[in-house]
Amino acid sequence: MAKSAKHKKEKKKDFQKPKLKVGKAKPKAANFTDTSFKAKSIVLVQQSILAAAPSATSQFSHHLSMLSHKSDTQVKESLAYLTTALSTKPADAPLPQPITLILSKVQPLVHSASHGVRQQLLKLLQTLPPAELAGHTDQLLLWTRAGMTHLSTDIRSTSLDILEWLLLAAGDDVVSCAGGWFKTLKTFLGLLGWQARVDTDSHWTSNRAVSSKPSDAKAQGRTLMALAALLRAGLAPPKDDGKDLGPVNNFPLWRTDAHMARGGFAHLNLFGPPRDEESEMYGDRGDRQRIFYERFQSSITAGLGMAKKEGGEVGRAAAAVRRAMSEGMADYGD
Amino acid sequence: MVKRKVGALEKVDADLPNLQYKIRRDPPSYADDFGNQYRVYESFRELFLQNPAQSDESGLVSFRDQIDFISHVADCYPKVTAEFPNDLIKIISQHHAELEPELREKIVGSLVLLRNKDIIDSSLLLGTLFPILVSTPSKSLRALLFTKILSDLRSSNAKTTNHRLNRDVQKELYNLLTSDRSSSKGIWAVKITRELWKRQIWTDSRAVEIMKEASLGDNEKVITSGVRFFLGGDKEREEAAEESSDEEDTIDMRSLRHQAGINKKTRKKEKDLKKAAATVKRKERKKNVPHPLNFSALHLLHDPQGFAEILFSKHLQNSKSKLNLEQKLLVLNLVSRLVGLHKLTITSLYSYFTKYLTRRQPSVTSFLACLAQSTHNLVPPEDLEPLVRKISDEFVTEAVAAEVCAAGLNAIREICVRQPLAMNETLLQDLVMYRKSKDKGVMMAAKGLLSLYREVGAEMLKKRDRGKDAAMGLRSGEQKAQRFGEEEAGGIEGLELLEKWKAEERRKKRVEQGLPPDAATDEEVDEEDDKDWDVESDSDSDDSGGWINVESDGEDIEISDSDDDERPTKKAKVDGTPSAGNGEQRESTQEKAAVEAQRISTLATTRILTPADLAKLNELRMAQGINNLLPANKRRKAAEIARHADDAVTSEQIESAAALAKKTSKAEKIAMAKGDRDEKHHSTTAIRKSKKEAEGKSTTNKEKARKKNFLMTLGKAKSKGKRSLVDTRKALRGHIDRQKKGGRRGNR
Repeated sequence: MAKSAKHKKEKKKDFQKPKLKVGKAKPKAANFTDTSFKAKSIVLVQQSILAAAPSATSQFSHHLSMLSHKSDTQVKESLAYLTTALSTKPADAPLPQPITLILSKVQPLVHSASHGVRQQLLKLLQTLPPAELAGHTDQLLLWTRAGMTHLSTDIRSTSLDILEWLLLAAGDDVVSCAGGWFKTLKTFLGLLGWQARVDTDSHWTSNRAVSSKPSDAKAQGRTLMALAALLRAGLAPPKDDGKDLGPVNNFPLWRTDAHMARGGFAHLNLFGPPRDEESEMYGDRGDRQRIFYERFQSSITAGLGMAKKEGGEVGRAAAAVRRAMSEGMADYGD
Repeated sequence: MVKRKVGALEKVDADLPNLQYKIRRDPPSYADDFGNQYRVYESFRELFLQNPAQSDESGLVSFRDQIDFISHVADCYPKVTAEFPNDLIKIISQHHAELEPELREKIVGSLVLLRNKDIIDSSLLLGTLFPILVSTPSKSLRALLFTKILSDLRSSNAKTTNHRLNRDVQKELYNLLTSDRSSSKGIWAVKITRELWKRQIWTDSRAVEIMKEASLGDNEKVITSGVRFFLGGDKEREEAAEESSDEEDTIDMRSLRHQAGINKKTRKKEKDLKKAAATVKRKERKKNVPHPLNFSALHLLHDPQGFAEILFSKHLQNSKSKLNLEQKLLVLNLVSRLVGLHKLTITSLYSYFTKYLTRRQPSVTSFLACLAQSTHNLVPPEDLEPLVRKISDEFVTEAVAAEVCAAGLNAIREICVRQPLAMNETLLQDLVMYRKSKDKGVMMAAKGLLSLYREVGAEMLKKRDRGKDAAMGLRSGEQKAQRFGEEEAGGIEGLELLEKWKAEERRKKRVEQGLPPDAATDEEVDEEDDKDWDVESDSDSDDSGGWINVESDGEDIEISDSDDDERPTKKAKVDGTPSAGNGEQRESTQEKAAVEAQRISTLATTRILTPADLAKLNELRMAQGINNLLPANKRRKAAEIARHADDAVTSEQIESAAALAKKTSKAEKIAMAKGDRDEKHHSTTAIRKSKKEAEGKSTTNKEKARKKNFLMTLGKAKSKGKRSLVDTRKALRGHIDRQKKGGRRGNR
C-alpha cells in the first residue's frame, strides 16, 4: 500500500512513457554516461612510482613518534616494526636513534591498558643491546615500580616481566641507582603484603595480607621469583673477584677497580634535590647488605616462613628467595 | 586448607574511584591497597620532578588521578600521607609557571580539599596560594586562585570571625602593598579586601588601612582601585546585603509541603523538605537578630587629616603625578569627601580649585561638586569668597548658555548651604536677580539660592526679597545670621514629645492607683524600665531576644540619684499639665527656649534611653510628621535635611537644575507614563500556563491528548475498529486494571 497521495503520484511518474517529438533529439536516459571526453594521459592520484621510499632511519623515527598514537593497534604495530628494525640490524651497527630517546618514548607504555601492546613492548625491550642500557635504567625502573603496584593485575605481571628483564640486562645498574635498592624492595614487600612489619604503625596483626594479596598462588610465585632475582642481583658477591686480582699486570696500581667509584660522581648528587634514606644510592654491595639487614631481612624471613608453608609453586619460589638471601648475606657481619 | 575469601578488588579490574569508595567505608582493611597506590604516586612524582615541564599525556593523566585519589582519602591515613601536602605545595610553588594547566588546577583543588578536610590549616593554604596569585603569568590560574582564596577566607569566617587568620592575611596584604609601591601586584590586595568588605567579612579598621595604603601607592591602577573603594565600597556592601536579604523569601514552605503530599515519597524528598524547613527557620531567626552596626570605611580611618593631606599633595598638587584627569577627579572626589565629612582643614585645596573653574574645563561639574563637597562651616570664608566670585564670573553671566548658568548657580548654592558666609551682599543680590530669567532651570536655581538665604542670611537680601517669615524673624530677633565657627546646640529630635508622653503615662497610672498624679517614686520607674529594655517581648511573646536584656539587672538605671525626687515635680512646674501645652506655645520665645533647654538637660542627660523609649520616640516623631502637614517649601527643606551628611555631592546634582528646563519629547513622555508595566495583554489561562512553564512543570495528559496532531490519531482510530473482540476486551481490562493500580508505574 502506498503511503500517501504524494508517493502515489511519484510512483506513477516512473512508469509514464516519455513523449517523443519529431525533429527533436531523444531525451537522455537517467543513467546515461557521458563518454565524449578525450584524455591525453591518465593520472593516478594515489600512487607515486617515482618517489624514493623513505629511509630506514626516517621510518624508524616515524614509528617512534607513532607510539603516542591513541589507537592501541597502531601502537602495537609500530612497536612490532621497531622490534624487527632493532633485531635485524647488524650487531655492531649503532642504534638508529639514541637510546634515551627510544626509552623516553617507550617507557610510558608500561601502563598501557592493552595486553598486546605491553607484550610487544617487552619484546622490544629485549632486543635492546644491554651495553647501551647502563645509565638509563633509573627512569625505566621508576615506571616499572609504578606499574608493579598498579591496580590492574595484568599490568602488574607485565611490570614484573620487565623488571626481570632489567635485572638480567643491567642488574648491577638497577640495584645501585638512586632509590633502586630500597624502594624496589619496599615495593616488593607491599606487593607481597609483608610491609606491615616494616612500618609498624598499625597494631593489626592478621596474616590476611599473605593469603589475600596476590590474586592466586601463581602470581605470588612469580613475584617471589622476581624478588629472588633482585636479591641475587643486589646481594650476590661479584663473580669476577678472583680473576682480576693480578697485581703484577699493572704494577703501580693496586686494586684500582675496588677504589673506583661506580657511575662517576653521581653518588655526590650535586644538582638534584637532597635525598633521604629511601632514595639514596647504594652503589656498594656492603651498603646494600647493611640496609637489607637493618630494614628488610626480618620481615622477609617472617614472610618466607609463611609462604613456605603454603607449598607448591609459592613454596618453591620462597625457597629460591631464601637461597638467594642466605647466599647474599653469608659474609655479612664478618 | 580453609578456602580464602576473595576481596572485591580482586574480582574486578578495579579503578581508582572504586577503591576510593571502598577506602571511605573501611580504611584499615584497604591500608595495603592504599599503600600500593601511594607508592605509585611517589614513583610518578619522581618521574615528574625530573622534568616538570613535560607534556607527556599518559604520565600526566595518571599523576593527576593519583593526586586526586590520595587527596580524597588522605584523612584516612594521616601517617602515610604526612608528607603529601608538603609535596604538593612544593610542586605548585616551584613549578607553577611551567606546569601543565590541568595538573596545576588539580593540585590547587587538592590543596583546597585537604584544607576542607582540616589536614592543613588555612594560613598554610593561603600562604601558599597568595604568592602564586601575585606572581603567576597565567590568567586562568589567577582567576582560580582568587576564587579559592576568597572562598577559603569566607568559610573560615563563616561561624565565628577567625581573628588570627584575618590578621595574618591582612598583614600579608599590607606588606604586599607597602613593600613595592610602584608595582601593580598590589591590585590583588585591593581586590581581595574589597570583596571581603563587600561580604561584610572584614569590617574593621585594618582593612581600611590596607585600602589607605593602596590609595597612597605609586601605581595608577592600585591608586584608583583604592580610591574607588572609599568612594563606592560602602554602597556596594549595602547593596550586597540588600540582595542577600531579598533572597530570603524564595522558599515557599506551603507549596513545598503541598508537593510533598502529592508527589512520590522518597527519603531524598523528605530530606529536602526538612532542609528547606531548617533554612526557613534559620532565616526567620536571622531576621530578629539586630542589624550589625557597620561603620563606613571613611569613618574607620585613623588619621583622616593626614590621609587627605598626603593624598592631595601626592596625587593632585604634585606636578610629576602620572594620573590622568579622570583618575585625578576620583582622588579629588575622595579628598573633598574626607574634608567635608571630617571637617578637615586643607588650605591649599581651595586655591587648587581656581585653576579648574572655567567653562572650558572638561567635566567641570564634577569639579564644582567636589568643591561643594569640600566646603563645611569651618572653612574660612576668605578662602571661599574668591571661588564663589570666580564661579559667578565664569558661569553665571548673560553670555553663556542657560545650562551653564543653572549649573553655576546650583554650585554656588551647594557651597553656600555648607558655608553661608562665603557670599557677600552685592553678589547675592545680583545672583538673586536671575530668578526673573526666562529659562526654567536658571530660574529654579536662582530661587533655590534665594530661599536658602531667606533662612540663613536674610539681612543680606534686599528688603522686598526677604519674604514674610524671614522679615518677621529678623524683626523679632529670632532669626540671626550665624557667625564663623558658631555651632548650634543640638538635641534629640522629638525628645520633648517623648517626655510629654511619659509624663502623661505616669499620670494615668497614678490616677489608676489612686495616688496623686504627680510626685513619682523610684520603684515605679524601675519596674517600668525593666521591661522596657526588651522591645521584642511586647511584640512576639514566644521566644528569642534573651540576650538583649542582659544589662537590666533590676537596679536603678537613673544616673543622677540626687535629684530623683525633685525632678518630676520640677518638670511639672515648668510644663504645667499636658493639656495646657497648647497654651504654652503662645508664651514668649525666650521662655520657650529656656524650657527647651531644661527638657534636653533633664531627659537626655539624666537617663539612658531604653530601646523601648527609642521605638516610642520614633513612633511619636512619625505621628507628628503626619499631623502637621508641612507647606511645600518646608517639606523641601526637610528633604534637604534628610539627605545624610555622609552622602556625596555628585555632578548630577549640580546639573539637575538644567534638566528642569529640558523639554521632553512625546515618546519620552509616553515611556515615562507607562513606567515599567507590561504592555502586552495576556489572558488568565495564558498567564497560568506561562507560570507553569516557568516552574518547569510539564503538561497534563489531557492537554497532550487535546494537542495531538490529528493525522497521528487517524491510524489508531482505524486500527481500533478492526480489533477482534478478544483484543478489545484485553484493552478495556487493561484500562480498568491501570485505573485501580493508579497508572502504569503505580501511584505509591
